Amino acid sequence: MIVYDKNLLDNLALVEEAKSLQSGGFISKEQKDLIKKELPAFKRQSNILVRLGFFLLGSFLYSSMCGVISLLGLSGEKFFFEICCYIFAAVGFGCAEFLAYQNYYEHGLDDAFILGALLNVGFAIGISTDGSEIVIAFFVAAAALILYKRYLHLLSLLACCLAVLALLFFGMLELGDVGKAILPFITMIISAVVYFVAKKTITNLERSYYYKGLLWVTTFCLVVFYLSCNYLIVRELSSELLGTEVLPGQDIPFSYFFYAFTFLVPTVYLIFALKTKDRIMLWISFLAVGFAIFTVRFYYSVLPVEIALTIGGIILFGIAYFSIQKLKQKETGLTFKPDRINNSNAILNAEALIVASTFGLKPEVKTESSMEFGGGGFSGGGSGENF
Amino acid sequence: MNKFDVQATKALLDKNLITENQFQEINSYRDLNIFSLNAELKLFLYLSVLLFTSGIGVLIYNNIDSIGHIAILSLLLIVIAVCFYFCFKNSKGFQKAEAVFENPVLEYLVLAANVLTCIFIGYLQFQYKPFGTHFGLATLIPTLVSFFCAYYFDNKSVLAIAITGLAAYVGLSVTPQDLLNNSNFYEDQTLSYSAILLGILLILWTVYSTKIQLKTHFNIIYLTFALHIISIATISSLIDYSHNNVWLIFVAVLAASSYCFYKLSHEYKAISLYVFMIIYAYIGVNISLFRIFESIDFSDVWVLFVMILPIYFIGSIILFIKLIKTFDKETAV
Repeated sequence: MIVYDKNLLDNLALVEEAKSLQSGGFISKEQKDLIKKELPAFKRQSNILVRLGFFLLGSFLYSSMCGVISLLGLSGEKFFFEICCYIFAAVGFGCAEFLAYQNYYEHGLDDAFILGALLNVGFAIGISTDGSEIVIAFFVAAAALILYKRYLHLLSLLACCLAVLALLFFGMLELGDVGKAILPFITMIISAVVYFVAKKTITNLERSYYYKGLLWVTTFCLVVFYLSCNYLIVRELSSELLGTEVLPGQDIPFSYFFYAFTFLVPTVYLIFALKTKDRIMLWISFLAVGFAIFTVRFYYSVLPVEIALTIGGIILFGIAYFSIQKLKQKETGLTFKPDRINNSNAILNAEALIVASTFGLKPEVKTESSMEFGGGGFSGGGSGENF
Repeated sequence: MNKFDVQATKALLDKNLITENQFQEINSYRDLNIFSLNAELKLFLYLSVLLFTSGIGVLIYNNIDSIGHIAILSLLLIVIAVCFYFCFKNSKGFQKAEAVFENPVLEYLVLAANVLTCIFIGYLQFQYKPFGTHFGLATLIPTLVSFFCAYYFDNKSVLAIAITGLAAYVGLSVTPQDLLNNSNFYEDQTLSYSAILLGILLILWTVYSTKIQLKTHFNIIYLTFALHIISIATISSLIDYSHNNVWLIFVAVLAASSYCFYKLSHEYKAISLYVFMIIYAYIGVNISLFRIFESIDFSDVWVLFVMILPIYFIGSIILFIKLIKTFDKETAV
C-alpha cells in the first residue's frame, strides 16, 4: 500500500537516528554528515518553517490549477458545479501521486495536494448529498485512511480520526434521545478500546513505517477519552443537544460520576505516564489537569481571576522547585538531567517569543495613564514561528 | 522507549556507519532508562512566572484606587528585592561570553524580578508621575533596567522585553501579535521611517557586538526583530504610498534589507532569517509587479491572466526549491 520506496523509508529512520545520536554527543558531526551522504534520501524538509512555506506555495498552485479548470468548464454551468469538486479532488490525488513518485515526502508541497484533495472530497460529497453529515464523515474518513496508508501522511490520519469521531457523533444523534443520552459513555468505551488495540498493534509491529501513525492514534484516543466524560463537555453538550436546563440547586444526571471522572483521569494519566515513562501521556495529563481546573472555574468562581493567577503561580513554582530539588541528584530513571537522546527542548526555544508577546512594552497613549502592560491579556499564545 | 530506535542503531552498526565502541556506549546509556523531566519542569517554572506576574499586574490594575499605594509599592519592592537578592548572590558576575546559572530556577527569578520592576515603575509613574509628562522616560527606564538584566544575567527572554521597550520608546509596538496584525502603521505612516531606522540600528549593534565579542549569542534575537520590523514597515509603506513614486524608495529599501539579510543568514547559518527574508522579498516583488501592471485594463486579458497563474506558481516553487538547496549546501560546510 505504501507508495514510497521502502529502502528510502529505512534510510530516513537511520538518518534521523544518526541526528539524535549526534545531538546526544555519541557520534561526531563528520560521522553524521557521512551517514547522511552515504544513504540516498527523500526530498524532504525537516525544518517546519520551510515546510510551511512550501505548503503555502503548493496551496496557491493547487488553487490556481482549480481556477484554470473552472475557466474551461464554465460553459457547463450547473452540471459543472456538481462535478467540479470531484475533478479538483482527482487533480489533487494525481499531483500527490506524481510528487510521491518524484520522492517528495514530508516536503510541504505534497502536504498541500494531499490535504487539498481531502478537502475537495468532503465538498464533493457535500454537494452531491445536500450536506448529509454522516455520509460526508464516512467518505472523508475512508479517503483520509487511504491517503495515510498510501503516503504515510500523518495529518491525513488526524483528519481520519476526527472524521470517525464526527461519524460516531452524528450516528448517535440519528438514534434520537437515547443515543444522545448515552453518547458520552459510548465515546469513552470506544476510545478506550481503540487505544488498547492500537497499543497492542504497536508492540506487535515489525517494521517502523506505521509506528508514528499508531502513536498519533493512541494520543488522539487519550484526549477523546478524557474529554468524552469531562463534566464541562457533558453538561454543555447535553444542554445543547437535549435542551435540558440545569436549574440552581440541581445538577445533571450522574453528576458525581462526571465530577470524579474529571479529576481522577488526569491523576491516573499522570501516575501511569510516570510509571511507564510515556512522555506523550505525561503532556496530556498536564493539559487535562489544566482543563479540569478550567472546568471548575467555569461553574464556580472560587476566587477572583487575578488572585487565582497569583496563587496558582506560587503553587506551580513550589511544585516545580521541590521536584527539581528532589530529582537533581538522580542519575537513572526519573531525573532532572537532560536526556542525551530524546530531549524535548523545542518548546523552551519559543520562550523568548512568548515573553515578548505577553509582556512586551507598548508605546504609551499620550493622553493619560502610563504604559499599558501585557498583564491584562494573558493569552500567551505565541505561535513559535520566529525561532 | 521506542524499540525502533534501538533497531535503527543496530542497523547503523550493521552498515558499518558507527563503530562497535560507539554502539556499546549508546546501549549502556539506553540501559540507564532515563526519563528526563528537564524540559517539563522548566516549563512549569516558566508558567509559574507568567501566572504570578500576570496575576500581580491585573491585581494592581484593578485595585489601583482601593488598596493603599504605599502598601502595594512596598510589597512589590520587597518581592523584587528578594528576587534580585537571590539572583545577584548566585550570579558569577558579568561575563562577555554566554553564561548560565547552575540552578535553572534563577533564570526564571530574573525574569520575574524584571517584569515586576517594569510593573513597579509603571505604577509609580501612574500614581506619582515622577517623570512628569516625559512619558518617554517612563518607557526608557524599564527598558534600560531590562537591558542591564539581560546582559548581566544573560537572559534571552528579558532581552526580548528590552527590545520591545526600545521600540516602544520610538513609538512602535513590536510585540509579535501586533507585528502580525500590522497595527502600527494605520494611524501614522511616518512611523515606518523610525521603524526602518530602528531596524538598522539593531543590525549595527550586532555588528559592533560581534567586533568586541559581547554576548554574540544575542545577535540572532536582535536580527530577528530587525528583519521583521524593517520588512513589515517597508511592505506596509509599499501598499500605502500608491499615489506617487515614493513607493520606489521603499522597493529599494526592501531590496537592500533582503540582500543584507541574505548575507547575514548565511553568516549565522540561521534558516529562520533566510526563510522570512525570502517570504518578505517575494511579497515585495508581487506588490511591485501588481503596481507595474496596474495600468493595464484587466477586463480584456483576465482569461490569459488565470491561465498564466499556475505557471507563475510553478516557477516560484522551482525557484524556492533552488534557493533552499543552495542555502543547505552553503551552510553545511
